[in-house]
Amino acid sequence: MNIIVCVKQIADPEAPEESFTLDSEKNVFIPSAKITKVLNPFDEQAVEAALRIKDQSGAKVTAFSLGAGLDRAVTKKPVFMGADELILLEDEAFADGDSWSTARALAEGIKKNGSYDLILCGRQAADWNAGQVGLGIANFLGLPYVTVAKKIEIIDGKARVERVTSNGHEVVEVQLPAVITVSNELGQARYPAIKNIRAANKVQPVVWKPSDIGIDPSSVGKNGRRLHLLKLFKPVIQGTCEIMEGESTEEMAENLALTLRRAKIL
Amino acid sequence: MNFRLSSEQESIQKAAAEFAQGEFDKDVALEHERKHSFPYEIWKRACELGFIGIHYPDNCGGQEYGVLENVLVAEAFCRQDSGLGIALSHADSTAEMILRFGTDEQKVKYLTPLCTGKAISSGAFTEPDHGSDIRSLGTTAVRDGDDYVINGSKMFISNGPIADFIIILCQTDLTIEPSYRGQSVIIVEKDSPGYTAADVGEKMGNKMTPTGELSFSDVRVPKANLIGKEGQGFYQALRILEEIRVEISAQALGIAQGAFDRAFAYVKQRKQFGRRLIDFQATQHTLSELMTKIETARLMVYKAAWAIDQEQIDPMLISMAKMHAARVAVEVADEAIQLFGGYGYMLEYEVERFYRDARLMGIFGGTREVQKNTIARELMK
Repeated sequence: MNIIVCVKQIADPEAPEESFTLDSEKNVFIPSAKITKVLNPFDEQAVEAALRIKDQSGAKVTAFSLGAGLDRAVTKKPVFMGADELILLEDEAFADGDSWSTARALAEGIKKNGSYDLILCGRQAADWNAGQVGLGIANFLGLPYVTVAKKIEIIDGKARVERVTSNGHEVVEVQLPAVITVSNELGQARYPAIKNIRAANKVQPVVWKPSDIGIDPSSVGKNGRRLHLLKLFKPVIQGTCEIMEGESTEEMAENLALTLRRAKIL
Repeated sequence: MNFRLSSEQESIQKAAAEFAQGEFDKDVALEHERKHSFPYEIWKRACELGFIGIHYPDNCGGQEYGVLENVLVAEAFCRQDSGLGIALSHADSTAEMILRFGTDEQKVKYLTPLCTGKAISSGAFTEPDHGSDIRSLGTTAVRDGDDYVINGSKMFISNGPIADFIIILCQTDLTIEPSYRGQSVIIVEKDSPGYTAADVGEKMGNKMTPTGELSFSDVRVPKANLIGKEGQGFYQALRILEEIRVEISAQALGIAQGAFDRAFAYVKQRKQFGRRLIDFQATQHTLSELMTKIETARLMVYKAAWAIDQEQIDPMLISMAKMHAARVAVEVADEAIQLFGGYGYMLEYEVERFYRDARLMGIFGGTREVQKNTIARELMK
């Protein structure tokens, strides 16, 4: 069983507001030099899903990441968690792509790598939150896909997937090979283990440039964008406080629940 | 000269921080603090992931890394929680004695359980009448056939009440002059008849690491429990204290950074007189002073650890790092409490606990005064 997991290095979504600025003229996000780079938390969940299958029934897990100037301490994290191999699509030309150009390059990389039974992605990346790369890969490879999975079981060449819905979950089955995007409801991802860090540092990750996957460098990254950002701005967040009234704690709780429902939060 | 950690070391640092952030639950820490209990569950998980004994050899379950990597783990753990951090990084207390002077059999037998979550160790040098001055000891080990028979007592021993085995420094030659030439290091296992350990009672801080008073009454152990050479114990202890001091200085560094992190986060959100505390220049200057102190401590601690890994042990640098980092930890935690104001004095806001735990750093593993003696001695050489 060959499992591919796609992971993205992003600026720490928990970083304080002071750690970046926006240029609203050019519509660009400018992180400070000090901002920490992390692996997209949803992608960590996808790695965890792959490793759970590996623990259960054995599998080779290969992680793919795409970008320019990738931090090895970040992108190697899937291997530190227990993945077997890491392939980086790394080149200046890959920078500043959109979901379409990224999905296309990843799909070409996955094809070049050889056979695959299951491709896992995080449900979205916690920077731009587009949630389209997984679906794009499925499209380029002509595969079925299932989104927002919270549990994946492999049974007789099929994946049985519990997928999150707005009021619970539904169970679907999909014939492999397929693409599945994984949600945080999967549960906590495992921590990196020191023995894996040690093993990973004895091997260099495979690095492919656009030409290695048969793509013209001028058609990837920002040159390959089909999506154009029209407006980028920091929203003004305003808070108001409403005190719940009630004779008893229960009544106050009930009023709170009703208020939250009216606000469409519940 | 290269002041950068390698990508591998950065990965270890990140992994340790991530584990600590995920597993060092504040409520769990406060529960252990109240009960004076060792955090067994968290310790076992840290062992499974390879954080404990990261510097042990492969065949003992270790990861073959060095003192610097061990320092990075201790710092990250103490940064997240001073009490849990000290408890975890001291769970294999004094194991370096076996690592540096033990036979291959002893290493496999004693180090393996320490890094696989099966045993806790303790190092017993200090005695009720011999603290900083370990040149003469009251604890004796007399050869009787194939055994040593041990008598005496040890005081303020970290992990004493919970240790599965204790690495003790004792007098094996009772007549030699000077007496420190007649000292040896021997392992005593906890179920040895005649051995008892009692908790020393309430302490100011460091409450998750039980501290014990140990008593040996005709404790018989096989001569195979001797670590290193008979008569070399004093010198072995001095050598191992160097490593223990570096580890303590890393704990102090982590505590300082952890107290700073909390205060820094607080002053960014706390408003007084219509402004955030961080917008007052007085606050900014305090933060600048604290960060400068932390950075000097970090440079000294990393350099001292790195030098050991290069087999260039530098006793003066180690003592300077220990003294300085311990002092910085107290100063930063003290200022952190001040920045929190009244809240800082409350258990809930953690910095008072960091302060109490920091205070130990200038005492155990050699007091500040002992470090000054070493620095002066090296200076005058």
